[in-house]
Amino acid sequence: MIRAHVTTPKLVVSWVALLVLTFLSFGISRVGLGEAELVIALGISVVKTFVVLFIFMHLVEQRFANRLIVILTFLFIVLLVTLTVADPMTRKTFPMRPDPAARPYP
Amino acid sequence: MSAQRLAEQFETLEKQDHAARLGMWMFLGSETLLFGALFAAYAYYRGIYPEEFVQALHHNSVALGTTNTVVLITSSFTVALAVHFVREGKSRLAAGLLAVSTLFGAVFLVVKGIEYTHHIHENALPAGAYSFLDQPPGGVVMGYTLYWFMTGLHGLHVIAGMIMLAAVGVLCWKGRYGAHRNVAVENVGLYWHLVDVVWIFLWPLFYLTD
Repeated sequence: MIRAHVTTPKLVVSWVALLVLTFLSFGISRVGLGEAELVIALGISVVKTFVVLFIFMHLVEQRFANRLIVILTFLFIVLLVTLTVADPMTRKTFPMRPDPAARPYP
Repeated sequence: MSAQRLAEQFETLEKQDHAARLGMWMFLGSETLLFGALFAAYAYYRGIYPEEFVQALHHNSVALGTTNTVVLITSSFTVALAVHFVREGKSRLAAGLLAVSTLFGAVFLVVKGIEYTHHIHENALPAGAYSFLDQPPGGVVMGYTLYWFMTGLHGLHVIAGMIMLAAVGVLCWKGRYGAHRNVAVENVGLYWHLVDVVWIFLWPLFYLTD
């Protein structure tokens, strides 16, 4: 039998934390930090995802098999995104991008 | 009652519930990979057209996007509370919370619908239908096409989640789910939380960039 570690006060605290992180993310996006903004915003999103996964989705009290699926999914997405982005980021020999004037949209 | 619920291939109810939960996590993993491919496409094209993406997405209303983020996070909270109370045997309270969550889903769709209506009036449409700007650069159109595709797919997940929340809500009210039988409510809750997590990433990518 799974013992409930997630109690009502923990759920309320998690909800408030998620709202605070949302407004923090919104506030930082208004400051105008340029490129760093997106990295910070995605970092905050990852923290929010951990709160949802472990408290709202009760991952904290489940067997390791369920956590393993989350870990594998995360690794596959990191692999997919980094390898895909590595292509446009490391292009030297090709034109980096199609000429916008020649083709209105790809 | 409990004995009837146990399928013959399982030794105990605990193992049966674990299998149901594990199956749901695997399904959510595959759902995440579906969205993962779209996030990879977003990263790829944003890498190629950084300024054009910002130009295209500047069009979106940060206020409406942030409202929807708060709505979905709060709906996730009410679903988590519903799962908590159904485990404690308070099925009627859980049913009420599931109904509230379904309504939050509807609020999300209404706000998204208002946004889509604005886009349609301004001809900010996907791919070749985009004519918000004259002679739009390729990156702008690509950014806006990804916006429509990713938020549209997410919207379909919201609709699916609302149907399932309403269904388990009704069954909770009728007393089918309670302290000893609730894995279905838990799994529907997991699905709704996934919808929330996907939006947690869509929001900074499509609204906070300007």
